[in-house]
Amino acid sequence: MRKKTKITIDPKYILAVLLVFCIAVGIISYRFADKMAPVRSAAGTVITPMQKGINSLGRRLAEQIDYITTMRRTVDENKKLKKQLAELSAENKLLQQDKYELENFRKLFDLDQQYAGYPKVAARVISSDPDNWYNTFIIDKGTDDGLKKNMNVMAGEGLVGIVTEVNKSYAKVRSIIDDDSNVYGTVLENSENCVVTGNLNLMNKGVIEVTGINGDVKIEDGAEVVTSQISDKYLPGILIGYVRDLKKDSSNITQGGYLSPVVDFSSLDMVFVITEVKESAELEEMLK
Amino acid sequence: MKRYISMFLMIIICFVLQTTVFTKLRLANVMPNLLVILTASSGYMYGKKLGLFTGFCCGAFVDLMYGDVVGICIFIFALIGYMDGRANNLYFKDDLSVPITAIACSDLAYGLMFYVCHFLMRGRLDVISYIVRVMIPEMIYTMVVGIILYKFLHWLEEKMYPPEEVPLAKGDKAQ
Repeated sequence: MRKKTKITIDPKYILAVLLVFCIAVGIISYRFADKMAPVRSAAGTVITPMQKGINSLGRRLAEQIDYITTMRRTVDENKKLKKQLAELSAENKLLQQDKYELENFRKLFDLDQQYAGYPKVAARVISSDPDNWYNTFIIDKGTDDGLKKNMNVMAGEGLVGIVTEVNKSYAKVRSIIDDDSNVYGTVLENSENCVVTGNLNLMNKGVIEVTGINGDVKIEDGAEVVTSQISDKYLPGILIGYVRDLKKDSSNITQGGYLSPVVDFSSLDMVFVITEVKESAELEEMLK
Repeated sequence: MKRYISMFLMIIICFVLQTTVFTKLRLANVMPNLLVILTASSGYMYGKKLGLFTGFCCGAFVDLMYGDVVGICIFIFALIGYMDGRANNLYFKDDLSVPITAIACSDLAYGLMFYVCHFLMRGRLDVISYIVRVMIPEMIYTMVVGIILYKFLHWLEEKMYPPEEVPLAKGDKAQ
């Protein structure tokens, strides 16, 4: 009879080996990020189609449920909206005239559409972080659609975040409410620079942090903050949100407070990726 | 071997659900952590080795897809699997209190370790508020979902290996 020789290793040693392995992989992935990219995208290409499938299924289901529950509300809303439409179209005509005038003035000043016309690509949010600590998500466009690292992501009219990792068919986006995110902003009304920082603790209140505004300037609640010219990764002039409850710091030199973002991060579905990378970010990548 | 393969499939299913459906099911801004439940219950049900395996796979998926530095989550999850594997000798089929406690402790441990590795290192020092805002709600939510998922895993186990044919590890001798 053949003797069964089964090799059994004490799990203790497996754990120890795993610790060494993790440290090694950690160092490799930190130091040589590009070398790890194929491994990462391999895992991603297996998982993302499944996530996409589940998501589209869920979306269809949610749409059906929505359809039934919101029917009556829709009728009421429709009446109201029709009335509003009439008012707005009248207003719009006036604005059109103003716009025409403005364009003429802009041409005179040679300021032609500095902010408005960034080229964009629409993308769908497939999945987000599996834990409650960070706020990164994955979108269904990748290098195939011309995405690159450090491209800015918007939803509606506001800034959502930045592309931190691109693969063939999907990309990872870090949102501005992520605890790890820092964005240089400018208060629109007086061009004061500030730093907008994501903060996990404030996320429950739906706000993030804004710091580093010059302490001598008086800024009222609700002032708009847009991305700054001096930011090296974010394109200038994208609306981030509105400041609130500014207070002087203990140093008395700067002031800081809260910022409520324009984008509703709890129900993010469609986003727009600006397919233009700020030169300074491009340069940084090249120098690496 | 069959167990490893079925566990791997479970991990993929849970990972996909975790990143898609459960992100929409947030309560008080937290969502339950299915991967912790899976790791903890596999360690508790089948011992250290399978716990380590499950932890490794869960951590690898999280790190490869979402992490910046690969390795941190792998080790956190593996450690959870190993620790719950130590509770394997308490395994008793119809008892729910031990696995649920194990899942709750694992989730809290996961939160604490994650905080130390990712947040403390960046100088975010107010532990208490993170415990109150993130860890405790997540633990409670995870516990509730854990009861369901653990029951399901159990049911699956009994379907795959009917008790009279394949005696289980230690717990079954007591019957």
